[in-house]
Amino acid sequence: MQEAENCQLPADNQTLVTFRALVEAIVPHTPELAGFGELQTLGAADLGVHYYLAWELDHTLALFFGIHLTNFPLAASTARLLNVGAVQFAAASQLIQPINCSHWVISPFSALAPLDRIRVLAMLEQLRVDLGTLPPPYQNNGGNVKFIIDYLNRATLFGTYSEWSAYGSTRLCTPTERVLQSFPIGWEQSGYPGVSLGYRALRGFLLTIVRDKGVSTIV
Amino acid sequence: MYDADVIVIGSGGGGAVAAKELGEKGLKVLVLEAGPFYGNKQWQNPNSERGGEWSSSYHDLDIGLYKKTYNLYENNMNDVVSGAIRFGPADRRRDPWHRKMPQQGDIWQASGVGGTTQHYWAQSPRAFPSAVDHIWPISYRELIPYYEKVEATLPVQFSPITPKEELFYYGAKKAGWTLNPTLNVVTPGYRPNPNAILPPNKHLMDPNYSMEQLNHMEGCTLQGHCVNGCTSGPSVDRIAKRGTLVSYIPLALKTGNVSIRPNSFTINILTEQDPKEGLRACGVQFRDTWTGEVGELKAKTIVMAAGCIESPRLWLNAGLPYNAWVGRGLTNHYFDWVGGVFDEKDLLSILGTTSVFPYAGHTSGARVDIPGIGIFQVSCLSPGLMSFLTYGFSEAGYNALRPPEPGEPWNMRGRVVGPELKELMKHYSQTMTMLLLTDDEVRYSNRVEVDPLLKDENGPIPVIHYSPSAKTLQRRDKLARYACETLQHAGAKKIIRSDLPTGFLLHIESTMRMGHVVDSNCEAYQVKRLYIADNSVHFNGIGGPNPTLTTQALATRTADKLAHKYFGHSIETDK
Repeated sequence: MQEAENCQLPADNQTLVTFRALVEAIVPHTPELAGFGELQTLGAADLGVHYYLAWELDHTLALFFGIHLTNFPLAASTARLLNVGAVQFAAASQLIQPINCSHWVISPFSALAPLDRIRVLAMLEQLRVDLGTLPPPYQNNGGNVKFIIDYLNRATLFGTYSEWSAYGSTRLCTPTERVLQSFPIGWEQSGYPGVSLGYRALRGFLLTIVRDKGVSTIV
Repeated sequence: MYDADVIVIGSGGGGAVAAKELGEKGLKVLVLEAGPFYGNKQWQNPNSERGGEWSSSYHDLDIGLYKKTYNLYENNMNDVVSGAIRFGPADRRRDPWHRKMPQQGDIWQASGVGGTTQHYWAQSPRAFPSAVDHIWPISYRELIPYYEKVEATLPVQFSPITPKEELFYYGAKKAGWTLNPTLNVVTPGYRPNPNAILPPNKHLMDPNYSMEQLNHMEGCTLQGHCVNGCTSGPSVDRIAKRGTLVSYIPLALKTGNVSIRPNSFTINILTEQDPKEGLRACGVQFRDTWTGEVGELKAKTIVMAAGCIESPRLWLNAGLPYNAWVGRGLTNHYFDWVGGVFDEKDLLSILGTTSVFPYAGHTSGARVDIPGIGIFQVSCLSPGLMSFLTYGFSEAGYNALRPPEPGEPWNMRGRVVGPELKELMKHYSQTMTMLLLTDDEVRYSNRVEVDPLLKDENGPIPVIHYSPSAKTLQRRDKLARYACETLQHAGAKKIIRSDLPTGFLLHIESTMRMGHVVDSNCEAYQVKRLYIADNSVHFNGIGGPNPTLTTQALATRTADKLAHKYFGHSIETDK
């Protein structure tokens, strides 16, 4: 997909490969659903949700550094967190399925089978990991690890099932410059008809409040 | 010497109410708001240009600008990092304001005129009397006239029935709950939600009126976007969902005595020593979020309504006197979330349709109240929000790695991933979800403090810790069982308990508690002329009911007390 000018993502390849593996494990491509239409086969990676994660993580934290407000991009360090987790998971002989050796050098996390990736997330979330080996801001900070693992799950779902991917070539622009370019695939998959001005869905009233001179009664 | 009689810090659920009430009493009020002012001619492009400084006129409100911003798209509106409704500066090119919370969860607060009521679901129940009487420094009876006034002003009305409420009532009745036709809940039962939403447009079911026409008329169109920015209405002040941006703020401006300055983050409370009163508040310093310039304003009294996190942060950063309860005692209704997936044929027999229509009607329209335990309420959202709350946000890990024990009233617990998730989301339209609100016990260890090292442009940042008590955990587990049993009785074929994280903070209350930090009139014990009018003054979590109405009743009362003590006005309830 061609990105709009000035809306490029600075994330490196390892980060994107790692996040792609993450979102694939959470919302996978599912050929078995082709009977319900080709759209139902598409997963989060098909929608580019790994870019969403990288954009969000790089735009979420600003703190004073010295005398200036400074943005601290978190995508690369968060991807490294997953990769360090994957290495420790494999080193502890916890793998249930074989790894894809050709991916190991680029991103150990992406070399794992999808369910093993989920197990790495669980291991990190439960802090069954050497916290000292993690990259900052996760190093020796279990609270940050717990927060971010949970965030990665919900952000993957929000990226997939909201309208984000339908911003197409403008999806990585600042939000005020994004333009909707198609009907969101996640909405189509879930049978959501899209935003609406209203529904003729009224089926009556169970109770009503009646006010008279500052006193309410229920009818 | 003074710029105003009163400065109100924050224009959310409480601050906007205080401003309107004080303005109506003839006092000159300045409101400082950290975030943007949507739907106002002074700020034509509120997320990309600085625009004006102050708005003082009702005629500044502009429905066209309002509907341009509130475009109903869930990612655009509610992305926590970059959405139009987030806790951050108006300029959406910039990062949000950071709060440190070293645990699973998220803080759903919003800056901007209207505050978090911009995306609240407008539930406006009263506190459970049993959580107030003989516990709070004031009685439930004392709150009632103020409840009545706020309910009439917003106004509050019971929710209409749409398919999802009908399904909820069907399950609740079969589970043995009985109808509870009251605003003062003392026994368990089900009822429609008392919501701050205008009644449905009387022509809604008439096909001679197009939806486009109805959207420009007064009355709810059941568009289902309470959380993503309601757009039903002919003018800003007649929008159907009654967040304070469209209810109390227009009324405040109409008084001619209230001026509102958005994009202004209050960073300091100014005090002075008075021979008679002792330490008293006399002004504020604020930072313009576009230019970084710091301004100073003086007033005879200050009302702090920055919310349960920012009010204690401001107290601490301003160096106000030490009080062991500032920031302490945080309650949050330790939420849970459950969902039931139904077969189309079952829905057809119950509802006459094959869908729950989770996207139609009030976001939340019905509830079961259980004093002493909490509430469960049918709550259905657009798919992005629904998917993460139901299947991706949990303290319990992954369902596939740790499935529930047999015999539990839920088939799944925790996050769902992989093909199973996609299969479930394919049935979004046949899924009814519920939010659970626990009667949360106050714990001193649950707190807001400020970080000793980390700062943003507004000063040391807040750090939040929340961990439920054993009693809260027991109540929440009971609630989850009641809610899932109701889904079972309604005929759900699959039931998921999300087991939301402890740190999912929406109904934050009681971090500046009445009787500890403020007196029973909500004036700070240690700083005269400084009042607080947000959720933080609640003595506890009010038993579980959604907190906004109680804050608004208290803000009305606080305005009364302030005007009486310092400006010689009579107390309204004495008239």
